[in-house]
Amino acid sequence: MGDQRDSRPDLPLLLVGTDHRCSPLELRERVSYSGDAAEELLVHLLARPEVAEAALVSTCNRTEAYVEPRDDEAAYHAVVELAFASRAPELTGQGRLYVRRGRDAAHHLMAVAGGLESMVLGEPEILGQVKQAAALADAVGTSGTLVRRLFRAALKAGSRARAETAISSGAVSLGYATVELTKAIFTRIEEAPILVVGAGQAGRMVARNLLEKGAGRLTVTNRTQLRVEEFLREFPGAQSHPFDDRALAVAAADVVVVATGAGEPVLTRGHLQAAMARRPGRPLLIVDLGVPRNVDPAAARLGNVFLHHVDSLETLIQRNLKLRREEIPRVEEIVEEELGHLLAWYRGMEAEPLIARLQKQAERVRRQEVAAALDRFPAETHEQIDRLTRSLVRKILHHPSKRLRNGNGEEILPHLDLVRELFQLDGEEET
Amino acid sequence: MSPSEIFLSAAIVLLPLAYLVVAIAYGRVFFAADRRTERLAPGLLLAVLTLHLAYLGALTAHLRHFPAASIAEGLSVVALAVGITYALVEWLGRERSTGFWIVSVIFFVQLLASVLRRPEAAHESEVLKSAVFAAHAFLALMAYAAFVMAAAYGFLFLELYRELKSGAFSIFYGKLPPLEVLERMMAGALHVGWIALTGAAGIGAAWAYRLYGPRWAADPIILLTLATWGLYSLALVLRRAQRWQGRQTAVVSLAGLCAILISLVVVNFVVGDFHGFPGAPGS
Repeated sequence: MGDQRDSRPDLPLLLVGTDHRCSPLELRERVSYSGDAAEELLVHLLARPEVAEAALVSTCNRTEAYVEPRDDEAAYHAVVELAFASRAPELTGQGRLYVRRGRDAAHHLMAVAGGLESMVLGEPEILGQVKQAAALADAVGTSGTLVRRLFRAALKAGSRARAETAISSGAVSLGYATVELTKAIFTRIEEAPILVVGAGQAGRMVARNLLEKGAGRLTVTNRTQLRVEEFLREFPGAQSHPFDDRALAVAAADVVVVATGAGEPVLTRGHLQAAMARRPGRPLLIVDLGVPRNVDPAAARLGNVFLHHVDSLETLIQRNLKLRREEIPRVEEIVEEELGHLLAWYRGMEAEPLIARLQKQAERVRRQEVAAALDRFPAETHEQIDRLTRSLVRKILHHPSKRLRNGNGEEILPHLDLVRELFQLDGEEET
Repeated sequence: MSPSEIFLSAAIVLLPLAYLVVAIAYGRVFFAADRRTERLAPGLLLAVLTLHLAYLGALTAHLRHFPAASIAEGLSVVALAVGITYALVEWLGRERSTGFWIVSVIFFVQLLASVLRRPEAAHESEVLKSAVFAAHAFLALMAYAAFVMAAAYGFLFLELYRELKSGAFSIFYGKLPPLEVLERMMAGALHVGWIALTGAAGIGAAWAYRLYGPRWAADPIILLTLATWGLYSLALVLRRAQRWQGRQTAVVSLAGLCAILISLVVVNFVVGDFHGFPGAPGS
């Protein structure tokens, strides 16, 4: 069935894909293509006569093949067979794959680039992954005018969504929430000494996020030395501090991440009072990831001590997610705008054949009329009449042709339709 | 009425309204993250500051002296000084998140100036034309402008501090510069204000003693200035001695500004001018 919303020609585009909403991880990981595998798939797709262009977006949460089909039905079967059924036949079952065509397929890619389709709304990595997909299709030579333009439009939509809205702002994980709190208090994260109390998974995760965002001075303290050594292997630039002397390490830090399995507080109000006395006027951020809590809650009452635990970080994450959700309509607007530009570009490509048809029709009429009238004029004037009428037709068509040829974007589309209808050009054979 | 007088009368009404419009624009930037208004707001502020500058220029020409002889004139100069300082800070730091709060304070100060204004009359006072007066008035107004800035940053510091401390993240969190930056800006403004006030008070007191003898200390503005100077000095000393943290300093900067504004209003209605030395001619 055709698109009922718009009678004008749609993009010749087909998308077949699966994502975190339709398939569990064990299926998604089987159809995840990286490096050589993605390259090979693209080559195989383009080898099929029914596929004119192809690109592949493959991340841990989605695998999507975008093709320009020569034969829609045959191209669909080729994509399903090569990209999905060959690796995970279960995906051909009900509801595992989604199929979009034309503008819906383009809209979907733009929404993906804008972070609207991500598992974590607005996550920033997807834009880079879409960029990689476009680069790969370019490098392998499977993208042509349409796919290249489609990905360029999607990347623009994604970049605009991040620049003009808050769809990617605010931390939505415990690690990045700690980074965000650090940046809300301290001028430069690079200069804020970080202390990790407890060298387990949670502490390492937050340390990784802090280092990724520029933190440079990392110290670890832990009850068992073995864990400390493991930590130091993962973070070679870090230093260790004796656990029994931890109050001293707290005094030297700006950010303290506490994540131990201890059943009672490892940092008491007394520890922190002593630490704060050694650092007057300087704020201290403490992130307590322990359950039960590793830091005495009474310490939160100390001046300049900002104590946060798992629940308050969760409050922050939920607030940020809510802010991101509120941005969805603004991102949708951007996607629609960029989609409009893409469609306008595609439809604008129709101008040339239309102009050719218009000129051909005018020339046919001119010849007919001249042929019918020539007998009434002396033979020596025939050449002049022919030249005159040719010039007349050319001059009459010059301005409208120029306008149609140079017209850009949405504004020219109604003109194309109007010209087609007024001059009844649909039946005119294209030269 | 001459064209100059018409302009002065119109500008005194227009200025608070114009600052209100700018404050609303910056409010849209802060609360609604409106990108289009964010591009528009600095231009609006610049236009209003230009109008303000033109107003004070016309007033100077009309009065034939720097317009700092009355509380209303002084407040208007302070409002302009804060506006120019903020515009420079914004331009240098590309930081527009504090605009709403600073421009709101400017609006309030200019509103006060417009309400307290009395019909300007040119006078040929020798005092107003002297270099000592110019130095005294310049330093005093600079101090007040700095205290206005300190109070605005102090308010923002306290709000962000409260949100970070309680974990109840609402409108301030994520939109303001880091706590450390706010504290530094507040403390910097306090230091500038204190130095300028010390200079203004020193020059003013010496000059008043020379003119009025022992009666100089009976002037309400001098008493008020000395009290304010004492309060800010105490805050800075305790801060330097590391007994006070940012929070206490922020409270003092807010309290200090409130005290200054309330006292100026009271003095304006009781004394009718900046200074009222008992028994002094023209007091």
